[in-house]
Amino acid sequence: MVINPTNLAKTTRVSTGWPDARSRVIRSYRDWQRAAPEIVKQYLLHFPPSAVRAKIRQEFERHRYVQQLPVVDMLITKSNMELQETMNYWKQIPHIMKYFRPEEDPRARVSSNFMNNFLEGRN
Amino acid sequence: MSLFPASRMVLTRQALLPVPRSALLRFKGTTSSPSPLEIPNHSVATATPAANSVTAFPETEPEAPSDFATSAYSPTNVIPVQRGENDALDAASISGAPLDLQARTVRIYKPSKAATQSGNWNERQWRMDWDVLSRGHRWENPLMGWQSSGDSMQGTHIFFKSREDAVAFAEKQGYKWLIQEPNERAFRAKTYSANFFHSPKELKIIRTK
Repeated sequence: MVINPTNLAKTTRVSTGWPDARSRVIRSYRDWQRAAPEIVKQYLLHFPPSAVRAKIRQEFERHRYVQQLPVVDMLITKSNMELQETMNYWKQIPHIMKYFRPEEDPRARVSSNFMNNFLEGRN
Repeated sequence: MSLFPASRMVLTRQALLPVPRSALLRFKGTTSSPSPLEIPNHSVATATPAANSVTAFPETEPEAPSDFATSAYSPTNVIPVQRGENDALDAASISGAPLDLQARTVRIYKPSKAATQSGNWNERQWRMDWDVLSRGHRWENPLMGWQSSGDSMQGTHIFFKSREDAVAFAEKQGYKWLIQEPNERAFRAKTYSANFFHSPKELKIIRTK
């Protein structure tokens, strides 16, 4: 009996080394960037694809300096899963907007300035 | 307004304007602060920012990282230090947990026995609790007086078999931890045969019932 995998599904695998992990990360990044206009069209976002591209870049940059290969493998897997869920329209608009919460909601930001945090009462 | 004919209109436009605060407080004997309608638009007070405003302290460094769970009650988010290959596995970046949790301290302890006759299982296991938030930990709901909280980890406990397990978990997740040493209950065994031992001093009776 043949099992047909869902659209955009990736086989589970482990990176053979750092060069393999690097090429997988870049491939995932390119897939995301290529999908940006489609995301805007599908989810009827009110900002242009450039904003989505900047957000993709930001999310990848967040984990740029990870030095543990198993963590990188897990991050690649999660990135592929997120891309599949986004492009198959399994997500809904609020799930996409979760990524843009700091931009949309001014209260969802933490200042890096000590005085501002002190005045806001953040520990 | 358009549903009623003009001749029957009782409410006029004047009556719908907000009453200035100075008029409300006239009979209460309290000094009224100038209402927003009376402060002039251009003054020295608005030109220089107040000492407690955000504009007085402009952001010099790039903003701290934030994610979907960052709120007004989040502690100051720390940028987690990247771990080397031989350090504990960086589970925090792949678990999907909010960034706020990285800034919180965790207490690992063995709870003391409750002052009841119910049993002592609770004092046998190690427990991990999150320290309370400075703001948003607990407030009273204005409608019903129920206890509300902005802390998602309040009332969350994790149980471990040993303190090393608890510390390993906290290290993996990137929490700052502190261990509270347990107060072990002193147990003195009593045997009935001790009543018949020789004692040079006054005889001691051991009641074993």
